[in-house]
Amino acid sequence: MAEVVLENICKTYGNNFRAIDQLNLSVEDGEFLILVGPSGCGKSTALRMIAGLEDITSGSLRIGGTDVVDMPPKDRDIAMVFQSYALYPHMTVFENIAFSMRLAGKPKAERKKRVDEIAKTLQLTSLLDSKPANLSGGQRQRVAMGRAMVREPAAFLMDEPLSNLDAKLRVQMRAEITSLQKQLGVTTIYVTHDQTEAMTMGDRVAVLKGGVLQQVDTPKRLYESPVNAFVAGFIGSPSMNLFEATLTGDELVAGAFTIRLQDAAFVRRPGLRSYAGRKVVFGIRPEHLYDSGLESGRKYQTIPAKVTSIEELGSEHIVHLNIDAVRVDSGDPDAVQDFGLTSNAVAKFEPDSAVRSGSEIRLALDDSKLHFFDPETHLAI
Amino acid sequence: MTRQKRSHHKLKRAVAPYLYLSPSLLIIGLLMLLPMVTVIAYSFQNSAVLRRDPSFAGLKHYQAIFDDPVFWASLWHTLYFTCMSVIFHMTIGMAFALMLNSDRINPTLRNILRVLYILPWLFTAVIIAVIWRLLLEPNGVVNSILLQLGIIGSKVEWFSSPETALHAVTFANIWAGYPLFMVSLLAGLQGIPKDFYEAADIDGAKAYQKLIFITIPQLMPIIISISLLDFIWTMQVFPLIWITTGGGPIYSTEVLSTYTYKLAFSSYNLSQASASAVVILLISLGLTLFYIRYQKAR
Repeated sequence: MAEVVLENICKTYGNNFRAIDQLNLSVEDGEFLILVGPSGCGKSTALRMIAGLEDITSGSLRIGGTDVVDMPPKDRDIAMVFQSYALYPHMTVFENIAFSMRLAGKPKAERKKRVDEIAKTLQLTSLLDSKPANLSGGQRQRVAMGRAMVREPAAFLMDEPLSNLDAKLRVQMRAEITSLQKQLGVTTIYVTHDQTEAMTMGDRVAVLKGGVLQQVDTPKRLYESPVNAFVAGFIGSPSMNLFEATLTGDELVAGAFTIRLQDAAFVRRPGLRSYAGRKVVFGIRPEHLYDSGLESGRKYQTIPAKVTSIEELGSEHIVHLNIDAVRVDSGDPDAVQDFGLTSNAVAKFEPDSAVRSGSEIRLALDDSKLHFFDPETHLAI
Repeated sequence: MTRQKRSHHKLKRAVAPYLYLSPSLLIIGLLMLLPMVTVIAYSFQNSAVLRRDPSFAGLKHYQAIFDDPVFWASLWHTLYFTCMSVIFHMTIGMAFALMLNSDRINPTLRNILRVLYILPWLFTAVIIAVIWRLLLEPNGVVNSILLQLGIIGSKVEWFSSPETALHAVTFANIWAGYPLFMVSLLAGLQGIPKDFYEAADIDGAKAYQKLIFITIPQLMPIIISISLLDFIWTMQVFPLIWITTGGGPIYSTEVLSTYTYKLAFSSYNLSQASASAVVILLISLGLTLFYIRYQKAR
């Protein structure tokens, strides 16, 4: 077990494309760190560099205090779980798990003992003689975990290990991996593009965009205090609504409506006053928007909105709205499709909300939950 | 829908596939099944083809073939020729495929090699035979190079000496046939997920371990299929041997195909030739059944 430290790590490809730019990360011993970001943000590249499957262009990488930049993967004392699991189809579950021990020339009895232990932990004992083709997705996933565990590595690297599973199984495996990681206490770096996985699994989450680290923090702090509009939009589902407005005195003026701000908003953000008379970007999460017709929404100020469509999920309604304000793109390339032509905002209403598609409503918003960003730099104010 | 209509519809559905298949079935029957049955019939007749009313001969011609030492020599040569060809086709094909698949080789060089390695495939058997007859002539290029290198002491008559002729034709056939393996294995190699090798790298596998534990098992279905097909095809090779050595000298390169041909068109013993052809058919059939069973088992 060991800490993993990345210092000024860069990755430049032959065509001068910089996949990773000055990445600094320190993963503590036993910590579960999630690397998250939209597709193409360099998160898998970063993980593969830690594994030694990609060369590091510059910077230093230490695992357990040892500089491993020039070491081949096998000497880095890491184990990796691949997105495809990379299970050998011609080998049984036992042979797959025991493969690294076999390569290392460990005696048969020792291999059997160790694999049996792991199979027991992962509930694979009855499947040891099966071939991967005869296993379900979740079982294959567990075999892949077993193959990583057998090496007793200093760190686990996982590259989107749940993306091939169906939604229900993913939720179950999410919990299994998390509890297994706690049980083993092995430093784990986990790559995903799914912000739900990021929020639910990790001790800390590192958000990457375009090869640049945006923020590393606990899930709670990422959600509550995103450092910029990108992180704000990326974390949380559905995404945070971001709009342009002008700060006039104590009011946000956007299109045909105004939002009164309380003193607390300025106390918490001393910088906000300096935007007086200027444009700002404000953000509000869908869960902080309410149906003014319901009890929960009565205490908040309201703005006019038109309902364009409703997704009734049983436990809540996802309501797509159009409000008279200019929407701001958070810069998440995967989120661009989220909004149709007619809607520019999303709200989460309680299931007893009676709003109908096409109706004009008063939308209640909890102004204490507003986020503010600079319109140019998109940095949090 | 009335019952009558329904049963008519059912009949139409049942007959339709056979109607679609009938043209090809007819052609296969005329061009393959009919000759095959005729040859089998000939093998049980006296003076087949030559006489209008041949008499039934029973197993006489088979007896004659099995008593002929040349037949047994041919059978042995066929097996040697075939086994060696298949083994070397596979090893050379595999080596070249691995080389072409490696990313350590410069891409330009790789493209050049890819074309070079596939060249033998572009030539017909006649051209290959002529090329190797010229190369392996007593005064040919091969002899002069080997002489200069000091590997041989005097000029070797590769195709005309009974000691070397079978090896020489086998060599020519190996040269002519490896591209099939190379191309098939290369396609197979490109289909092996890169993750397998990366996972093995992390697990500490050396290059030879990756070959043994990942590459070869992954290619096994291709290796077995192509080997079986190659075995069936090589057993029936005729033009290459006919043009290079004609089965000589002193039957030293006589294989079942040349043996049969000679019986038919030199000795005009068409009945015995038919019996020999049936023997070849039976061996091929055995291998084919094996191949089909293997394909089904997959």
